[in-house]
Amino acid sequence: MSRPVNGPVKLVLVYQSLLGIYGDRGNATVLGKRLEWRGIDHQLLVVEPGEEVPADGHVYLLGGGEDLAQISAVKALRADGNLFRAVEAGAALFAVCAGYQICGTSFTVGDHDQVIEGLGLLDVSTRRGPIRAVGEILTRWQRQDGTSYELTGFENHGGHTTLGADAVPLARVEVGVGNNGDGTEGTQQGTVIGTYPHGPVLARNPELADHVLRLGTGLDLDPLAVPEVDELRRQRIAAVRAGRRS
Amino acid sequence: MTHMAAPRLPFRPPKPGALSRLRLNAATSAGKAAAAASRLARRGTGASIQGTVMLRLDPGALGKLLADRRIASVSGTNGKTTTTHLLTAAVRASVADPDDVVTNADGANLHHGIASALANQPRSSIAVLETDERVVATVIELGRPEVLVLLNFSRDQLDRHHEIKSLGRSWRIALQAAGSSGPVVVANACDPLVVWSAQPARRVIWVDTGDVWNEDAALCPECGSLLVRDQSRWDCPGCSLTQPVADYTVRGDEVSDPNGRVFTLDLQVPGRFNRANAACALAAARAMGVPAQTALDGMATVTSPAGRYATATIGTARATLLLAKNPSGWAESLPLATSQTVVLAIDSAAADGRDVSWLWDVRYEQLAGRTVVATGPRAQDLAVRLRHAGVDHVVEPDLAAAFRRPEVTRVDGPVDVIATYTPFQRLRKLGGLA
Ligand SMILES: [Zn+2]
Repeated sequence: MSRPVNGPVKLVLVYQSLLGIYGDRGNATVLGKRLEWRGIDHQLLVVEPGEEVPADGHVYLLGGGEDLAQISAVKALRADGNLFRAVEAGAALFAVCAGYQICGTSFTVGDHDQVIEGLGLLDVSTRRGPIRAVGEILTRWQRQDGTSYELTGFENHGGHTTLGADAVPLARVEVGVGNNGDGTEGTQQGTVIGTYPHGPVLARNPELADHVLRLGTGLDLDPLAVPEVDELRRQRIAAVRAGRRS
Repeated sequence: MTHMAAPRLPFRPPKPGALSRLRLNAATSAGKAAAAASRLARRGTGASIQGTVMLRLDPGALGKLLADRRIASVSGTNGKTTTTHLLTAAVRASVADPDDVVTNADGANLHHGIASALANQPRSSIAVLETDERVVATVIELGRPEVLVLLNFSRDQLDRHHEIKSLGRSWRIALQAAGSSGPVVVANACDPLVVWSAQPARRVIWVDTGDVWNEDAALCPECGSLLVRDQSRWDCPGCSLTQPVADYTVRGDEVSDPNGRVFTLDLQVPGRFNRANAACALAAARAMGVPAQTALDGMATVTSPAGRYATATIGTARATLLLAKNPSGWAESLPLATSQTVVLAIDSAAADGRDVSWLWDVRYEQLAGRTVVATGPRAQDLAVRLRHAGVDHVVEPDLAAAFRRPEVTRVDGPVDVIATYTPFQRLRKLGGLA
């Protein structure tokens, strides 16, 4: 499922002031550039709490943030409602870390593990884990066509996420913690993807970036050569394999 | 030259007794020996190893070294080294013997760095201490500082961001506990987390620094509501936390004081950010009894605090060194880099932050049209960022080799260099500045 593109592809960066402290805005920059480099017209819409979330976006992005910010973001997105409508209509949602957690059915905040109801866009729930997962992570993304692709990033989360019956893991962990140490990382459910790594993750993993664009737009995307990214992937994957998680 | 009157202080930790002093002396000697060995082995100034050895032999050393001095402590995420140098210069200008003021000028700002600086000048009666955010509560408790400067509180290392608020809470608790014997706090009124942290102080001198960076302070630290901002101030709609009325206000080169007097800053350190630092140092110096003009004259002599803004020779190239530790630091530093080729050095050691995702929160797009030499262990991460920012770049991970690149050597005049913490320290050494 995706949304037909008539005119520019609309990328919507949601609530940076709440969920934007780990560089995840870079995911929007990367999607925009990968469209531009292919000559595909696009618009980047940046929406803050108090403003209406555009209902006609193709790809929506949520990033990492802190506990209190998660609560505010859930409240504002529920009150607004347009993110739900857009996903219903086939738009893609790509959510990282705290953004991933709020897409689930519930998550906890604070020292007393107060349980907060999530947006319910993913069948996952998050509770505080025994230790904070911090460091480089390497996973393998199993694609529907049977091929696989290594995902590299930097995870930094105290929450452990458990997948429900409707949630499929995005990737298998090779090095790092991922969802909760059970070997799974992230979730894809329909056009919604949640994942832990920063990096930003789409800058380090261009095939995942194109996957997100295809999910939201249905466009055919030609391969794109970006030598800087190939070299970065080679370095980061070699480093994490050599046991360096930073 | 004006001399400061020694103020009457409500409380001092008791003078160390004879036995306790013996132990401190032994620990100090052992620390100095370790530092000398470290210098011989060319491992740096030895300040850190000296303090570590000392504190291991006498865990009470820091408290004893802080006792019986007038103390000013400077903390915050960005600008503490420069502000400490400015305040030190301001205070030194007001005393007969500059050695009467001790400071940790090299930026070693944790327990051991502070302890070794103090141990090296046991007779100095005034200490101006750059203080890591994590040590502020301890210094308040052990040292009873007269003045505490709180500059700003933005995210530093992304991988440690979740610690910020608990640090602010530790400051509140320490100020609360110090009560009426606590410091006068000089605090940045533009930073909500600083304001919240400073609130319990017995007295706060608020400085409107005109800060523009607000990407780290969306939510009220007290109640979690989304803060409301307009051009000039912030306010919480959910509780009583609001931007305090400023005692000092910085606008351009001018600083106004609570009585409406206006002073003109004449600084050798560049940028809007350093004018804000200087205003905080001025307010702190006056709170310590330094006349305004004396403080301004002192601050005007500061050129390159711990190598920042210094011009060095690296290989055959001339280089001006700027330090940027986090996105707000980069936002301040990038406009200061004006050479046609710019060298940017990135690392991800613990002191730099292990996660370099912050590169995507910096507007490198403003460098379009110029050439960047990307260097340091994480140069390739920067290269990817620059590719997406449309900025021409070459990659040379080796710092020394970066300065042999034709893009650098062909530049007329010094090339501007911006580095994260670890490569900055290495560049100081390469340039013979440390
Ligand atoms: Zn509030």
